[in-house]
Amino acid sequence: MIINRPSIRIYTCHADRDILKEICAGIEEEGVLYEIEERQETELDVLCYDAANESVLGTGVGVAFSETGMQMKGVPKGRNLFEVSNPTSGQCRILGANAARAVKRMPFRIF
Amino acid sequence: MKLIAGVDIGNSTTEVCIGEIGGDGKMRFLSSSSVMTTGMKGTVANTAGVIHALDAAMGKINRPVSEISLIRINEAAPVIGDTAMETITETIITESSMIGHNPSTPAGAGQAAGTIIYIGHLPEGKPGIPYIVTASSLSAYDEVADVINRYAKKLDIAGLILQADEAVLVENRLEHKIPIVDEVKSINSIPEWKMAAIEVALPGQSVRMLSNPYGIATLLKLDADETKAATPIAKSLIGKRSAVVIRTPHGNVKENVLPAGELYVKSDQVYPVNIDSGADRIMEVLGQAGEVIDISGQPDTNIGNMLINIKNGMGNLMGEESGEIRITDILAVDTLAPVQISGSLAGESCMEKAVGVAAMVKTKHLPMEKIADELKRRLHIYVKVAGVEAVMAALGALTTPGTRLPLAMLDLGGGSTDAAVIDSDGRVKTTHKAGAGELVSMIIQTELGLSSRHTAEQIKKYPLAKVESLFHMRLENGAMHFFENAIEPKYFGNVVLLHPEEMVIIDEDIPLEKIAAVRKDAKRKVFVRNALRALTEIAPGHNLRNIPNVVLVGGSAEDFEVPEMLMEELANYKIVCGRGNIRASEGPRNAVATGLVLSYTGGQQ
Repeated sequence: MIINRPSIRIYTCHADRDILKEICAGIEEEGVLYEIEERQETELDVLCYDAANESVLGTGVGVAFSETGMQMKGVPKGRNLFEVSNPTSGQCRILGANAARAVKRMPFRIF
Repeated sequence: MKLIAGVDIGNSTTEVCIGEIGGDGKMRFLSSSSVMTTGMKGTVANTAGVIHALDAAMGKINRPVSEISLIRINEAAPVIGDTAMETITETIITESSMIGHNPSTPAGAGQAAGTIIYIGHLPEGKPGIPYIVTASSLSAYDEVADVINRYAKKLDIAGLILQADEAVLVENRLEHKIPIVDEVKSINSIPEWKMAAIEVALPGQSVRMLSNPYGIATLLKLDADETKAATPIAKSLIGKRSAVVIRTPHGNVKENVLPAGELYVKSDQVYPVNIDSGADRIMEVLGQAGEVIDISGQPDTNIGNMLINIKNGMGNLMGEESGEIRITDILAVDTLAPVQISGSLAGESCMEKAVGVAAMVKTKHLPMEKIADELKRRLHIYVKVAGVEAVMAALGALTTPGTRLPLAMLDLGGGSTDAAVIDSDGRVKTTHKAGAGELVSMIIQTELGLSSRHTAEQIKKYPLAKVESLFHMRLENGAMHFFENAIEPKYFGNVVLLHPEEMVIIDEDIPLEKIAAVRKDAKRKVFVRNALRALTEIAPGHNLRNIPNVVLVGGSAEDFEVPEMLMEELANYKIVCGRGNIRASEGPRNAVATGLVLSYTGGQQ
């Protein structure tokens, strides 16, 4: 079993399926791997923070219902780099792309 | 006890130096200031700036302006500089016959040729014919992949062009891998049923087949004449990560070579020089011509129009007829300028050979007396127009610790590079050369294809860094700089300028190394060449080795790398060269104002 794959971690809590699909598409287009895990936690800040800290790449995405956020390792809990509630599909793509760009050290796209 | 104020009205700043003459007749410097010049240099509008600067300088020593007993203002150099840039060849590719761009994530690799077909028309496709499929952003990536997978069993699908940024998403879902170009904005203007070739470069490489005329010929089966016509296309695709070339029936490509024209340098006789022969040759001819009376260009050519525009512009500024205005010096610089390709599908441009010119015009004397009268009326202080600007600058430069006569002063300004040399007997020789900071900004702007001049000015002034994480950045010189707290995400991954107050993001996607190279090259082309030109002209016997030391003053002497470049270059002639430090405290600024105060005591003795 591979325990720590170099991937972006996505922690979810009753995530909206369309939102999750578009975020994943955003990451995939940039060519980075991701793993999705359903958690008990409902707090977006905690989902994002834990995902970032448990990702080998130091980048995490949180999706709680229809709230989304992106976080990086080393940044304090509650200070997500990006946060969008009820995102459009375009915003989901950008959030995913930005998570991947954080890994690739590329400038973020603007929502 | 007598307070003397020296006032230097420059193109961009007005500077003041306050000196006090004690009972022993010795001069002590008390204060100085620098404010923005109000209005165009040499006009009465400057008065407001002068008064403001005097207030600021006297405010520093808590004394009223009325205590000043004499104001000395500079006799401004009667030269005005201007810059212009023109491409000398031009490629016009009409009708959208090519796409060449750098999408961040194309997919697949390799090249393919085939007939263009819209994805909705695949049912009409015939087996045995290779097709390049196009899909607009209305079709989702999974649908596109699905359709291609289905039809790939019956038809020969060789490549795919997408409007959306979904190349990787589609490719991951394809059973047979094909090159995919994405982010093509005007997908609807791609003509259906035409032959096209597409290419996606391997990671880290750029396209090879489509940036080679014979490669295009191979893929699109062109004959020798058609291959020749396709050369400008190949040229404009050099360095791209992905490309599409569409064969349109009427060969809608033409390379329009504009007549570059000749430049006429008039001195004792007229020396013609063709612009096409390059900046080096132009400057050589200019050097041979000696004392220049006027420079003009061949009518109805780019260079001709360019010089006429400069003359008209300066004529308007000074209220003189353009016929009376004579260009007495130019600095020509070879450069490259991006030219928009008409009818392109993804907003492409290609770099064309261009020439940048800074020109300098001798004008009638600037009406400094009028400014003096106005100042006198408003302040009730005696005002005197005293001394030639370059001479005053040289006198001021001499207050730099470690200098001695004979001394040369290089004033690196915005519009012109001025030089003066004082020999041991106190005789002064001066010269003004076209081209300085503004030309550098213009070269940076065009070569990097920047949309704003302001960005170019900032690139000129500040060193670069690349923000590599939220916690650190790599500086231009390779060193690392760490932040205590995570910086704002907007900086992440970007190339930034290290402005002392706030980092400035460069919006254009240009690698740091390229920006740095263009910036250094532009400074060298302008300042090093002009320094050598100016110093050679005023050096005793026109030999640089006869000048033991050079002091750099003026706005561009504060630049973070120009003084070092000049120092390296002039070291070859055993010249001590460095940034001035006027009165051991002012840096390269305030030289003229200081010189004006100093020349007062000189005049008394």
